[in-house]
Amino acid sequence: MEPWNLQPAHDTGLTPSERFRSVRRESGLLESLAHQVCFSLLRSYFAIGHRLTIVGREKLPPHGPFVLAANHCSHLDALALGAALTPRHRERAFPIAAGDVFFHTRVTSTFSAIMLNALPMWRKNCGPHALADLRRKLQEERAIFIIFPEGGRSRNGSMMPFKHGLGMLVAETNVPVVPCGLGGTFEALPPERNIPRPVAITLAIGDPLQFPSTANDRTGWSQIAKSVESRVRDLVGQSRTA
Amino acid sequence: MSEITRERLFGFRHAFDDPVTVVLTLTALALFLLAPVLILVATRAANSTSDKRKELWDRYRSWIWLALFILVPVLAGAFWTILAVATLSFLCYREYARITGLFRERTISLIVVIGILFIAFAALDNWYRLFVALFPLTVALIAIGGLIPDQPKGYIQRVGLGVLGFALFGSALGNLGYMANDWNYRPILLLIVFAVELNDIFAYICGHLFGHRKFVPNTSPNKTVGGAFGAIALTTPLVAVGAHFIWSGTALDTPVRLLGLGIIVSIVGQFGDLMLSSIKRDLGLKDTSKLIPGHGGILDRFDSLILVAPAVFHYVNYFVGFAVGQPQQIFSGWQI
Repeated sequence: MEPWNLQPAHDTGLTPSERFRSVRRESGLLESLAHQVCFSLLRSYFAIGHRLTIVGREKLPPHGPFVLAANHCSHLDALALGAALTPRHRERAFPIAAGDVFFHTRVTSTFSAIMLNALPMWRKNCGPHALADLRRKLQEERAIFIIFPEGGRSRNGSMMPFKHGLGMLVAETNVPVVPCGLGGTFEALPPERNIPRPVAITLAIGDPLQFPSTANDRTGWSQIAKSVESRVRDLVGQSRTA
Repeated sequence: MSEITRERLFGFRHAFDDPVTVVLTLTALALFLLAPVLILVATRAANSTSDKRKELWDRYRSWIWLALFILVPVLAGAFWTILAVATLSFLCYREYARITGLFRERTISLIVVIGILFIAFAALDNWYRLFVALFPLTVALIAIGGLIPDQPKGYIQRVGLGVLGFALFGSALGNLGYMANDWNYRPILLLIVFAVELNDIFAYICGHLFGHRKFVPNTSPNKTVGGAFGAIALTTPLVAVGAHFIWSGTALDTPVRLLGLGIIVSIVGQFGDLMLSSIKRDLGLKDTSKLIPGHGGILDRFDSLILVAPAVFHYVNYFVGFAVGQPQQIFSGWQI
């Protein structure tokens, strides 16, 4: 018989508000139930309100870890990607959201953590340690990250160049990056609007990419960003013509 | 539902029928009014640092919330009391599951949570046979639930942790809720909670005054033999006097039996404290969470109560019985 292996929750020792804002957060039974309910409601909303069409869903790996990388031009993007995941995926799915928007106050951070299972990315003072924590979480907890490598929402709907952060998460690992192209979210909810229009949305999912031999340095991160960006651009075009 | 049952469950007008309830509530209020003065005097006399002062005030503020969490439901009625005990069970189980890692075993955690819900229902329903059947049945369900992942590796650990979690926070703490089926449950519950919390304070004070020899240095280095015996010496008469007024004229109302109850509360309370110290030391943790400012987690605060609840329940049940003459199966007894 092997000795017992007791592993306290990684967020042990944090106050409730610190926990909601921490990437070490691990969901319990009630929070998992809240995520499942929230994602199910989102799925119904996107199916009815935006006639969400998903092309290439079979390309999603059966389980984590993997990263969904998509273009970003609307607050609907992360929700649409979350709605595309199967119930089995949702348990470990974490949208990586802007800390200064979604985790600014206690109310927004509680909602983002409990309902969306989001993890914060602080854009102004995001150091390498924040990405190192995410990289560790991705592999150790077999997580699924929903990320937008442009680093922010496009204000005019056209894609911006991808940043290095994605590469820092997956370089020299076998973690697949699944490129995704979203079409219609900008028309449904552009940055200046508060209420979405009932516009059709299409999500095109591409073949997973892996970067086990790409160096975990600035050159490697740049290569990964370019490679994924090019795939996402193709998929965005595909989603707009679908 | 009979009028008697409705009054017991929701009849807050009877809150202060028993003099022991009045005395304990007033004592608690007096302590809360006196505490700020004591804190001010003590911190000034000791020239405490601002961190120390903040910690003391945090503790005081948390104690007010904890006292309200205990006093309001107990005074409001048995329904609210059972609901509060079930909430306490869930919060304690949540902390236990998170520090042991059991929360990652979703099936077992769900079974324990359902078990706690059923315990609360059995207490609310005054259905004793269901109440005692729930422990073996839930253990069986946990043993079955542990098979679902089809992973023999770690089976004993996840099932063992699940059974211990349900035994402590569902079954043992559930006895507190079941006590609310007694018509005179208010002074009983208040006396137990009051005595257990004072027992901790007595042990701490006596330990500082007379504590020379360490009690269990590997488990809890600050506990001393002097503190343990001091707590027994002070808590026992307190419980015995309170119990004398509560169970006046019953089979329990003899000096030996009343002192026996006091000794049980004090000794078992201290063992509950040591049990949690052992669990935390085994895991290398200081506190079970940071939910209550100045105290740590819910478990850190209520650890002494966990083992006292079943010990007192069965001791009193042996001599007097709980819920004597109260209607049973209040909700489930309706014939279809």
